Amino acid sequence: MIFSVAKTICADQWRYWLRTKVAATVLLLGAILTLAALVVNAFHIEEAAHAREHLQTEAEERFKAQPDKHPHRMVHYGHYVFRAPTPLSVIEPGVDTYTGNAIFLEGHRQNSAMFAEQRQSAGLTRFSSLTPSFLALVLAPLFIILIGYGSVSREREAGTLTLLLSQGTTRWQLMLGKLLALITASGLFLLPLLLACLYVAFSSESPLVVLLFCLSYAVYFLLWATVVTACSALFEKSSVSFTMLIVIWMAACVLLPRLGSSVATNAAPSIGKLEADFKVEEKLRSLGDGHDVNDPAFKKLKEDLLAKYNVDSVDDLPVNFRGVVAQYSEGRQAKVLNEFAENRMGEELEQAHIARQFGWLSPTVAVRAISTILAGTSLETHHRFLREAEALRLEFVQGLNKVHVEKLDYKLDMNRNASEEAADKAVVGADNWALLSEFNFKPEAANTRISNALVYFLQLFVWVCITALLLRAAVRRLNP
Amino acid sequence: MMRFTDLKREANFVFGHRQIKLTLLVVFLLSAVSLWSGYAEMQEQQATIERLLEKDQIEREAVITHQSSYGMVAYYAFHLTYAPPSPLAFAAVGERDVFPWKHRIRMLALEGQIYESDTDNPELAFLGRFDFAFVTSVLLPLFIILLLYDLKAKEREARRFDLLNVTARNAHAIWTARVIVTLVPLALVTLVPFVVFGLFNGASISSISTVCAIVIGNIAIWSAIVLVIGAAKRFANFSATHLASIMLGVWLVTTVVVPVTAHSVINAVVETPEGGDIVLTQREAVNSAWDKPVEDMWAAFIATHPQWADFTTFDPERDTSFNWKWYYAFQQVGDQTASDLSKAYQAATLQRDTIASYVALLSPSLLTQRLLSSAADTNVSAMVGYENDVRAFHQALRKFYYYHLFKDPEFYQESFEALPKFTPSVDAL
Repeated sequence: MIFSVAKTICADQWRYWLRTKVAATVLLLGAILTLAALVVNAFHIEEAAHAREHLQTEAEERFKAQPDKHPHRMVHYGHYVFRAPTPLSVIEPGVDTYTGNAIFLEGHRQNSAMFAEQRQSAGLTRFSSLTPSFLALVLAPLFIILIGYGSVSREREAGTLTLLLSQGTTRWQLMLGKLLALITASGLFLLPLLLACLYVAFSSESPLVVLLFCLSYAVYFLLWATVVTACSALFEKSSVSFTMLIVIWMAACVLLPRLGSSVATNAAPSIGKLEADFKVEEKLRSLGDGHDVNDPAFKKLKEDLLAKYNVDSVDDLPVNFRGVVAQYSEGRQAKVLNEFAENRMGEELEQAHIARQFGWLSPTVAVRAISTILAGTSLETHHRFLREAEALRLEFVQGLNKVHVEKLDYKLDMNRNASEEAADKAVVGADNWALLSEFNFKPEAANTRISNALVYFLQLFVWVCITALLLRAAVRRLNP
Repeated sequence: MMRFTDLKREANFVFGHRQIKLTLLVVFLLSAVSLWSGYAEMQEQQATIERLLEKDQIEREAVITHQSSYGMVAYYAFHLTYAPPSPLAFAAVGERDVFPWKHRIRMLALEGQIYESDTDNPELAFLGRFDFAFVTSVLLPLFIILLLYDLKAKEREARRFDLLNVTARNAHAIWTARVIVTLVPLALVTLVPFVVFGLFNGASISSISTVCAIVIGNIAIWSAIVLVIGAAKRFANFSATHLASIMLGVWLVTTVVVPVTAHSVINAVVETPEGGDIVLTQREAVNSAWDKPVEDMWAAFIATHPQWADFTTFDPERDTSFNWKWYYAFQQVGDQTASDLSKAYQAATLQRDTIASYVALLSPSLLTQRLLSSAADTNVSAMVGYENDVRAFHQALRKFYYYHLFKDPEFYQESFEALPKFTPSVDAL
């Protein structure tokens, strides 16, 4: 019974929207924008995925196609890795356009990611972007407000509210009917998004992740529809509920996310890579230069090695001492580099956590965190990319150093600068370059991403509770 | 004719409204907080630059004292370059969180170094900066809509509309006066904090005035949009909130739809080389030098540096241990090989920016933002300008070292006093 009455009220509301131009325009504009965003973004991601896959294969082929060389030359020749976009980045590109997606890997250095797309956007997409997530998180609430701010107050102003309530419609029936109408309307914006998700789920992403992803967007829409209906009932006049809702929207969707970002920058300033580099260098200087076997820092290494093989000079060693030094110093250096890199990532994560605390103040921030984390386009996944790139770097550099130790004669090696012929002799075969592993970046496992997002689910849950209370208050206070 | 007494009466009326007072207070707080946050960030950037400069000096001196050949110093010595925040950067952070504003470079091929970026936390950049430019270009129009959309409707609802029109000496003057007493305080609460911060930060009076003019212009444009929609005959039957929806629609189309559509169109229209191609090309060129005939490389080098044509041979007697001339020459050739791609990449960045400047004519918000970041030297051309400063500085380094490598004078630590120094082209704080 309660639902059939609610359904009638809902249908009535829909008739009103279709009759008035503003509501119909908003609905149409919203649907067109969402579709356009999905199409444009899907093409863009598809293209980027192909381009990066191609560059990645090319980089690997070029590495392996290098001629016979001195192994240390290959250490400096280096390698490139590219981050392929994740399936859900079609909907939520997240930090991807801000991070850069290529890293040059070489010996002795950790480089940062290059070529952030945002640099080429001429500032056009700094406030807004044609991404489905921006539309859903920032614009859709505005659309919901524009079509729903007067749903109850209009009846009150027209005097029909008294009529409805005196004819036996209960307050709950009325409110549920209005809410249902707004939910179905906002479903128009959500539907393309859900369909895209479904498509993604069938391609390669974990169904559970996609389900939770969809669910959080659906809950987010539900929240806004409820807040709008409740405000429309709580305030006497349409104009007041309109103003209040716009203020709420500005605060939740536009202001607080940015405020969070600025607070985080100032509350936990991070020292940046350059400054960390100086500290790394300071520490590394005490460890010795891996290019120079005579560096006093390697004295102990030399003595130990001579003792181990029971010989008097490095010339008599069965291994290439230059290679040993290179291997040893690269390992020690990597440890220092990683210590600082981890520090830096920790700082960045701390900043992000501060900014995400604003999710307690704005559901938009909460859902944005959930959305980027689940989509694998969050800071955490970017850090994972950096870590995997570093692991690959260390693996091939140390692999080459091992070749240097075992396959290149020390005397030929020491003599390499004497003449061009001598240089040609101090090489190893090109077959050794096959040691390079393939790089195939995947975001964290589904479970890890879900558990990373748990706190933000909690934030969202708190918002659901607050909104439910608001709805109850609105129903109780509903007077003609 | 509007009279002073009209203004005074309207001012009393407007300030009697709690909603208006509250809005003004909120705008004041937003403006002040955004300014403070931008100010704190720019202070931090300035302090970072000073700390880096100090360490950079120490580090380089250590390298110079430890090494004994020009080639080795060139290999190990880094040079700090930076784009300091201008005195107005606190108001419009602009592109400073996407483009790098500090680089450490050395004598190796520049194309392998210049795309390194030590930018801010990407998640914070993604969430966006809460700076004064954002408050004035994106939020202020919304406040103007909220303040003005029910100017007349409020009076109609309060049934004072006809009374006001009849009792006033000039019906038109009342509304003009009411708009003025609403907008002037709005401009004041936005701009007074800015002027205070600007003066405190040592910005010039003329640049402060420019920013004020931009903001006032933006307020004027949005007020005009709101008033024109409010007075349009087409919408005469619309309720105040319907009118406000239309005004928000205009905000939405100009602030969101125009820029993102333009972005997609520009992406499709402006051809740009893949960034990855530049660095791959450069690396191939540099590394293949080891395996290619030396003469080919020298030919390419001499084509651009004929003055060193007679100095290319490696003489173990004269030149120090390793053939550093050849080493740095192929670094140069590597840059030359990638030069076309790299120029095309920068040209594309600038061309996109130019197109965006035309697009901005369709979007008051975008226009305000662009004008503000241009006044604060934080726009794309300022950041590309910095990149070119770095290129020029690297060129100067090469000039210095080529002389010392090719002429191979005796190694004197004092000769490094003539090492080029980087001077930023934007005035520091």
